[in-house]
Amino acid sequence: MTWQTFLFIAVAAAAFGYSGYRFKILFNMMKMHQGKSSRLNLISERIMTAIVNVLGQKAVLKKKNAGIMHAIIFWGFIVITTGTLEQFATTLYAPANFEFIGQSAYKGLAFLQDFFTVAVLLAVFYACYRRFVVRPEGLGKSRDANIVLALTGSLMVSILLMNAFHILGLDPWYKHSLAFSNGIAQALSSLGLSPEAYTNLGTFFKWIHMGLVLGFAVYIPSSKHLHIVAAGPNTFLRTLPREKGMKPINFEDETVTQYGAAKITDLSWKDALDYYSCTECGRCQDLCPAHNTQKPLTPKMLILDLKENMYRNKEKLLAGKYEEISPIMDENVTEDVIWACTSCRACEIACPVFIEHTDKIYEIRRNLVMMESKFPAEVQSVFKNMETNASPWAFSAADRGNWAEGLAIKTMAEDANVDVLLWVGCAGSYDDRNKKVLKAFASLLKKAGVKFAILGTEEQCTGDPARRIGNEYLYQTLAKANIETLNRYAVKQIVTACPHCFNTIKNEYKDFGGQYEVHHHSQYIAKLIGEGKLKPTKGVDETVTFHDSCYLGRWNNVYDQPRDVIKSLPAVRLVEMKSNHDQSMCCGAGGGRMWMEETIGKRVNVARTEQALATKAGIIAASCPFCMTMMSDGVKTKDMQDKVRVMDIAELMDQATP
Amino acid sequence: MNIFVCIKQVPDTETKIKLNADATGIDSAGIKWIMSPFDEFAVEEGLRLKEKNAGSTVTVLSAGPARVVDTLRTALAMGADNGIHIELPENADNNMSAKALAGALKKEPQVDIVFMGKEAIDDGAAQVSQLTSEYMGIPCVTVALAVEYSATSVKCKREIEGGAFEMIEASLPALIAAQKGLNEPRYASLPNIMKAKKKEVKMLKAADVGVSDADQKIRYKGLQLPPPKPAGKKISGDPAAQAKELVRLLHEEAKVI
Ligand code: SF4
Ligand code: SF4
Repeated sequence: MTWQTFLFIAVAAAAFGYSGYRFKILFNMMKMHQGKSSRLNLISERIMTAIVNVLGQKAVLKKKNAGIMHAIIFWGFIVITTGTLEQFATTLYAPANFEFIGQSAYKGLAFLQDFFTVAVLLAVFYACYRRFVVRPEGLGKSRDANIVLALTGSLMVSILLMNAFHILGLDPWYKHSLAFSNGIAQALSSLGLSPEAYTNLGTFFKWIHMGLVLGFAVYIPSSKHLHIVAAGPNTFLRTLPREKGMKPINFEDETVTQYGAAKITDLSWKDALDYYSCTECGRCQDLCPAHNTQKPLTPKMLILDLKENMYRNKEKLLAGKYEEISPIMDENVTEDVIWACTSCRACEIACPVFIEHTDKIYEIRRNLVMMESKFPAEVQSVFKNMETNASPWAFSAADRGNWAEGLAIKTMAEDANVDVLLWVGCAGSYDDRNKKVLKAFASLLKKAGVKFAILGTEEQCTGDPARRIGNEYLYQTLAKANIETLNRYAVKQIVTACPHCFNTIKNEYKDFGGQYEVHHHSQYIAKLIGEGKLKPTKGVDETVTFHDSCYLGRWNNVYDQPRDVIKSLPAVRLVEMKSNHDQSMCCGAGGGRMWMEETIGKRVNVARTEQALATKAGIIAASCPFCMTMMSDGVKTKDMQDKVRVMDIAELMDQATP
Repeated sequence: MNIFVCIKQVPDTETKIKLNADATGIDSAGIKWIMSPFDEFAVEEGLRLKEKNAGSTVTVLSAGPARVVDTLRTALAMGADNGIHIELPENADNNMSAKALAGALKKEPQVDIVFMGKEAIDDGAAQVSQLTSEYMGIPCVTVALAVEYSATSVKCKREIEGGAFEMIEASLPALIAAQKGLNEPRYASLPNIMKAKKKEVKMLKAADVGVSDADQKIRYKGLQLPPPKPAGKKISGDPAAQAKELVRLLHEEAKVI
């Protein structure tokens, strides 16, 4: 044993010991969260998603340049770590090198290590260029990021110098595999030092390298670089499948006294793991319609603010002094922040480490609404209307079926022996523009010979607006009433033209005993076309652009069928907007925003309408009643209503189908 | 302070009113019942006053058939402490209701202030506040838009004709009838909704508060629904022709000019 061994043992034990202690604290903080989250279903899918997205870097690579940069650093990190481990091993016990893997394998490994050292160094240069020259808005300024880049760069330089000096001093047999280091060695040979001196310099840089690695280990727990530990598990534990429903609250359980999240610990351990995983890349923020229209919400800052709140309350949290923990709502997380979210889920789709922003916003809203009765004033009448008339708008429940008068549409009460139940929804029932959509869709169903019925006055609001706003209690009242009705008629198939009803009935009613096969009308029409039951023959000589509904696209992965319907129309040209499919921009109505005033910044619907108008399409096609309202308003705001029409895909299809 | 709020249960504003078989009242089948919106302002005002005066209680009262207890629970969920239900028949008129409310209030050991809405949105009579205060022998301020409280009196800002306002001072105990704008009624929080289920609602019979059939002063003999609105008429042509046609129609058909 040399003095180097002793020194290494001492330093490494101190570094890993301290780092381990800091990780233990992080773990304990996570454990002290009281909200529940169980995620151990679908194990094989989880393993797959971890392989594809962690090892394969799929989600990271969705953004090209930065993604490639990251993938190089990530793969480089894995390869180079083998070298670091060898350094540790040989420092502890000189003969413990990794040559036992065989000469050619060792040469290959050496080559890869050397190659990635240079590649990572280049990636670090690119990262610096991005951070200091390009400066994307979402990235922001970060001392932490600068430190991490400096450390990573220094690590690579120290490896290259270590290898180069060792080549000069020790002339290892595998030196030709270290192509870059060997080149540097050639350049450094002009120093003309003795072999001992070169070896000592090599050892010096080895110590620098090992020191930096140990320093990194100590630094990571307090840095955004924590993601290298947390993001893997976070990816494995992501919500699967993508079509997630909100977590139900059991109101029968009298031991529950807190609904939603007032304090950071009311959220779950998974939320804490989310904060640990955040890389501060800003991809979520780049796509956030609230942020992009000057609202104070940015999903990135929300995650960082919650993390900050947790750290601020660290001592109380670890001591279990829950009463003393300060509230989530503070000068950063304000009501304006929480109410700005349209629950469009662009943030979650963009996040390379599968952080779930909407879950947190929903829990915070639940506390505001149910515990504190705090919400935008205009929402009170929405709740009251839903309570008394089962519709967010002030219309009589007795008038719900009036839109269908004279159309010879039966109710389930009249004839329940049907292929499919047409779920009309509140907008389809009461909103004049959307009534026309329903009429067009009903006409299509008739043309295709589908036997369908509606619930008429027995239908109630699905409760979705209340749920997204945070009034779970009201939601459950309505949901349970609807499920009771649907089950009474033994309904199996449901079709609806509203993505919000679609999402709720399909993904959320099952938690309350409602299991149905639910179709969005875009899927249903596409199916009828596929079966040859609908044959659009009349040409629509127009350019059409399709606006994705968030609850159809990002929440339910339905992107193709509405486009297929449009493409089936003779003579139609489909053009895409700047943002489309999962990168699409919300119309501004989701998450209950439909019923709230929009007073801060630019209006989301206007921003989205501008994207639609930029395509020069004569028709903006929608597949959601709220999108219909928002886009129509946007077109009017831009004073383009004479040139551009907003139409539902069912209307387009009905026009084209004799 | 002992604060009292009288509330009335009325059909929801979106209700399609139907008459009962003998046209002496409305058919209550299928109606969604709510608290009269003006009474919500009264409850809110009572609660705010309570919050400013530690140790106060808010008691809500309602006179009517058994179903009005649901509306009392709504007020309890907003934060009222207890409720009193005075059982009256379905068709009780303003006088009977006022006498019953006053009778119940007079049974209380101490009444410092009484709130109610300026009118109920079903019959829109705006009688019960004044009648109740008469039966109790206390001052009454109606259409109150703002109230300043002191230990022995209240100063109320009230709306009068022509968009003007007046200030009225009344000694306590007094009855204040709330106008829209007095405050923003709160939405009941869930813990309060849960608690409301367990709060006490005292039951009183008409006889307990000195009310008999003879107090029913109004009896409806035959009600009629207003005739359905005829379809509108669209006048076309150029503006000059349109104006001419409009004048002709107003003069000859509608006979208003
Ligand atoms: S769901 Fe949409 S609006 Fe809400 S934070 Fe995410 S990106 Fe922004
Ligand atoms: S939440 Fe996800 S997308 Fe947003 S900054 Fe953090 S890692 Fe990036």
